[in-house]
Amino acid sequence: MRPVSKRVSPKKVPLRRIPLGTIAGARSGDKGGDANLGVWVRTDAQYEWLRGELTVERVKELLPEAGEVDRYELPNLKALNFVLHGLLGDGVASSTRFDPQAKALGEWLRSRHVEIPEALL
Amino acid sequence: MIRIGNASGFYGDRFSAVREMLAGGELDVLTGDYLAELTMLILGRDRMKDANLGYARTFLRQLEENLAEALERGVKIVSNAGGLNPEGLAEAVDKLGLGAKVAYVTGDDLRERFPEALTANAYLGAWGIAECLAAGADVVVTGRVTDASLVVGPAAAHFGWGHEDWDALAGATVAGHVLECGTQATGGNYSFFTEIDATRPGFPVAEIEADGSSVITKHDGTGGAVTVDTVTAQLLYEIGAPAYLGPDVVSHFDTIRLDPHDRGVRISGVKGSPPPDTLKVCLNTLGGFRNSTTFVLTGLDIEAKADLVRHQLEQAIGDGDLTWTLARTEHADADTEETASALLHVTIKTPDAKRAKAFSRAGIELALASYPGFHVTAPPGDGTPFGVYRAAYVPRTSVRHRAVLPDGEVVEV
Repeated sequence: MRPVSKRVSPKKVPLRRIPLGTIAGARSGDKGGDANLGVWVRTDAQYEWLRGELTVERVKELLPEAGEVDRYELPNLKALNFVLHGLLGDGVASSTRFDPQAKALGEWLRSRHVEIPEALL
Repeated sequence: MIRIGNASGFYGDRFSAVREMLAGGELDVLTGDYLAELTMLILGRDRMKDANLGYARTFLRQLEENLAEALERGVKIVSNAGGLNPEGLAEAVDKLGLGAKVAYVTGDDLRERFPEALTANAYLGAWGIAECLAAGADVVVTGRVTDASLVVGPAAAHFGWGHEDWDALAGATVAGHVLECGTQATGGNYSFFTEIDATRPGFPVAEIEADGSSVITKHDGTGGAVTVDTVTAQLLYEIGAPAYLGPDVVSHFDTIRLDPHDRGVRISGVKGSPPPDTLKVCLNTLGGFRNSTTFVLTGLDIEAKADLVRHQLEQAIGDGDLTWTLARTEHADADTEETASALLHVTIKTPDAKRAKAFSRAGIELALASYPGFHVTAPPGDGTPFGVYRAAYVPRTSVRHRAVLPDGEVVEV
């Protein structure tokens, strides 16, 4: 675990390690055996940061239960949409997953700690 | 402008919403979505017990209570509550004896083509609904149409849109997507819920213009909020690529423009393009039987306790078809019993109903013979059948989408 404290990136932008959900909202749900996870922010500057930060690889790091992930950009909504393939097996009625409809997947992602530039807070 | 409200986002949503939406303000059309992938399975099991069922029964009770007022005020009712039996629901609405002109949409049921499935329903579009309304229907019930079609159909009928008015159809589809989950557009299940009063969100309303643009709002005095953020949240629900495929139009979600409006949010700019040549089909098959239980593991030696009970259960019924999850929710040196406890979930999924039942017996027989502090959150039941969902695609031209008008005339859509 890295310390929860003020950090400075190589570019000297002051960062704070805090939950993603401090600035980002999310909503998630099911489509058959896939889950979708939409994440949005409220300013253009936040969106520029979000699309750099939340790569497919980063989402897999933050949500280690994810398998194959597709990412789509919706700049008009300041949003990214992720499709997590196969997370729910054969769908809600069959899934043995803790949250079989992926209703809280977005809230889980929001609770993960990331390094957010202080200027965006 | 046409004012279209929503009073249901799923089978089981707030019963009083129909009354609240009729009494709370002006409306031209009141819609309700009752169907989800899982709901089709539930209705399929209803229909196995009684072929006259297979529709959402709460909708009928809501109409018993409210249809007279809707008729008096000229508010049309459009709902997919017909589920697997729209004709049966239409007959039941007729029998309410209020003189409503009732029409229904059919042709989605493709069980003949997928005989192995318990339910097989194509996602139809909006044009059957539009035909029914153009013929003067007061109530339109459908089976599996896309959720957004409940909004697109009334708008298309009202404005006389053509099948190739792609941008208007896409705009109304986006409004329909916002409305289809009821209060999820108005502050329900909303990440920033602490910024609004989310106690009892009102249901949403779309005021749609002739070009397909809209204002999303809700009745005055209702709870929740309609903001760019609450609408964005719902736009992101259950989507994939930005080109959102539907049976009538592809709606390009990366062209949606949202602006604050004094009564909510304005949606404009949505571009549409022609739909694919295939229709999606929702298939549910019975997958077997499932059963589950949750062992509570408290205090010390959590891993060893989990290992013991797992070994015991597997020795009793065999290790096949079992899925185990140990949630390490316990805290060391905790000052409440609950926060000192971890949860060990086990689920069995098996083609053999007897084995699903044996799982219960084996679990219960451990009660005095397992880890110290043995208890379960709830005793396992007898096991229940479970469904497996999959999607299929069929040529659009192979599906007979029909509108059955209030006078009984059948229109091929």
